[in-house]
Amino acid sequence: MSQSKLLSLPDDPRFLDMAYFEQGALPEEVRNLDSLKPEERETAIKFWQAVKSDFRFNEYLRGCLNCGVCTSGCPAAKFYDYGPREMIQYMMRDAVDKIWEFTNKKVWACVQCFTCSMRCPFNNEIAGLIMLLREYAVQFALPSAKEILAPYRRVLYTVMTLGNQVTPDMIQPEAFPDWGPQAVEESKNMDVYRKAIPVDLMQRTDVGWQPSLQTAVEMMTIMIESGVMDSIKKVDPDLYDMVMDIYEDRKAQLEEIKEKWQKGELNEDELPDSWLDL
Amino acid sequence: MAGEKVLVVGSGPAGLSATKELLNMGVDVVLVEKESYLGGTPKKLKYSLLFPELRPASEVIDPLIKTVEGKVKTYMESIVEGVKEEGNGFTVSIKDKSGKIQTEKVNAIIAASGFEHFDSRRKYEYGYGIIPNIYQISDVEKMLSENKLVTTKGTPPKRVAILLCVGSRDATVGNTYCSRVCCAVSIKQAMEIKERIPDAVVHIYYMDIRTYGLMEDKLYWKSQLEYRVGFIRGRISEFMRGPNDTVIIKGEDTMNLNRALVVPYDMVILANGMELGLGSKQVAKALGLEFEEHGFVRPLDPDRLPVQSTRKGIFLAGAITGPKTISDSITEGYAAAMKAYEYVTKGVWEESDFAKRKVEVAHH
Repeated sequence: MSQSKLLSLPDDPRFLDMAYFEQGALPEEVRNLDSLKPEERETAIKFWQAVKSDFRFNEYLRGCLNCGVCTSGCPAAKFYDYGPREMIQYMMRDAVDKIWEFTNKKVWACVQCFTCSMRCPFNNEIAGLIMLLREYAVQFALPSAKEILAPYRRVLYTVMTLGNQVTPDMIQPEAFPDWGPQAVEESKNMDVYRKAIPVDLMQRTDVGWQPSLQTAVEMMTIMIESGVMDSIKKVDPDLYDMVMDIYEDRKAQLEEIKEKWQKGELNEDELPDSWLDL
Repeated sequence: MAGEKVLVVGSGPAGLSATKELLNMGVDVVLVEKESYLGGTPKKLKYSLLFPELRPASEVIDPLIKTVEGKVKTYMESIVEGVKEEGNGFTVSIKDKSGKIQTEKVNAIIAASGFEHFDSRRKYEYGYGIIPNIYQISDVEKMLSENKLVTTKGTPPKRVAILLCVGSRDATVGNTYCSRVCCAVSIKQAMEIKERIPDAVVHIYYMDIRTYGLMEDKLYWKSQLEYRVGFIRGRISEFMRGPNDTVIIKGEDTMNLNRALVVPYDMVILANGMELGLGSKQVAKALGLEFEEHGFVRPLDPDRLPVQSTRKGIFLAGAITGPKTISDSITEGYAAAMKAYEYVTKGVWEESDFAKRKVEVAHH
């Protein structure tokens, strides 16, 4: 087939229409991807392909009746120009540019309360889809994700090294001026209530930040093996180095103690109760 | 052809019309009714006007009751306890309120025990039964027919919101079907409210308006042309109790992206859908019928044989096989009567393997 004889078809099927051919697309009809900056275009497409090929995606996104229950129940939609329905619609339409825009800003407004997922009449796992976008934003080390997560460095550091960020006993009235009188009254007796509920973890909230050396090392190994640390490395290399240093230190300490123990040089009462004692 | 007897379960529009036709064809009928009156759900909930003709429900139901009342053997306040196949018919045991069991020998059975309205308390976030001034369409029918449309303050409502698709098209309560009539009923109620309170503001919150067929202009267009009923596209997520016994809605105007609505109303009406209900479930169990995937009773062939059940000799009519309007139920009553007549006089029972067929879904 020679090129001269056969007219090549335009990429955009709308240009088959003579009017489009003559006038070109109107600004608001410019093809989705044209609105992206050339340097971002490739990442945006790759990002969306990655999200779509995640095994959870098809399970979480089922369909949309456009009823708006998700947005109307959403606490974040009250304060930001954000709504879960918007995201679902972009996903249903394969709108790469809109998903890109959404991921770079609005997706971080979600507080992950899962009200939308609970009330969706089509049983979409909407909050799960938001989590998916966030996960991949971190995976791709998007500049927006880095920027958004920068203030959370301290939180991440505590979670990675100690296993948790808040312990239940840290939830005190001083930190929550918006509590009503009843909540304040109830909070006074929280330790009594916790004793009444037979959950072991709740009995020692005071030691939530003091894991034993072995627990801390095991937990950090899990974080490394499961790829959490790899994600952190991409968004915050400094934090990664910091956490890995601590990991190496603790691991060496633990091995030292183990070696001593095996040789029979260590008395049982010499074993540290917590790594903080070391 | 003497001595043929047909048992009709339920005396709603479908049961009554089937009974009437069988009587006209000279077949003996035994009627079993759970309540103490004939007429079914339209009588029980005191329906006001019927769509789309906007005529009183009594105009349709009362003539049916009149032609049947006193002419057939009727067991009131009774239920069908069980059936036994005997010869070419059934022996049916019927239990009344006091627990007394009587038996009837019949040649065929028509199950027309109908539907029940969805109980909106199951959508807990709507606060029905907790927040004052939230009603269901099934409550409002009675208020309209008795001319007592007032809020808890005793005054007529000035601002009314009607929310469609409560308990239908909703996977969170397991009802993924459309109840068909609630759009039309809600618009009819909106027009009735505007008729009584001309300066009231009535908003209908919808996902899709399904006033199908000839009802489009008679209801959907008319309500806007003549009554200025407002239609807002979006489903309400939750209700809150506002000051002065108002109800505050939280919704999204989905015609505008991310436009949240937090608006107070004097009265909120939930358009609750249709379900098979416990009464019909008991009937289906007693008669040994099968259920289809939405929880209604499965007909032998939904297209070709809609009034035959999966059990030989038992026929179905009305909302027991799915959401139906009153006129549809009456039509089905006639059809079931005709099929039952053919069966008891000539033994005609058409077969279909639809119910047994395994549906193979092609995945693309």
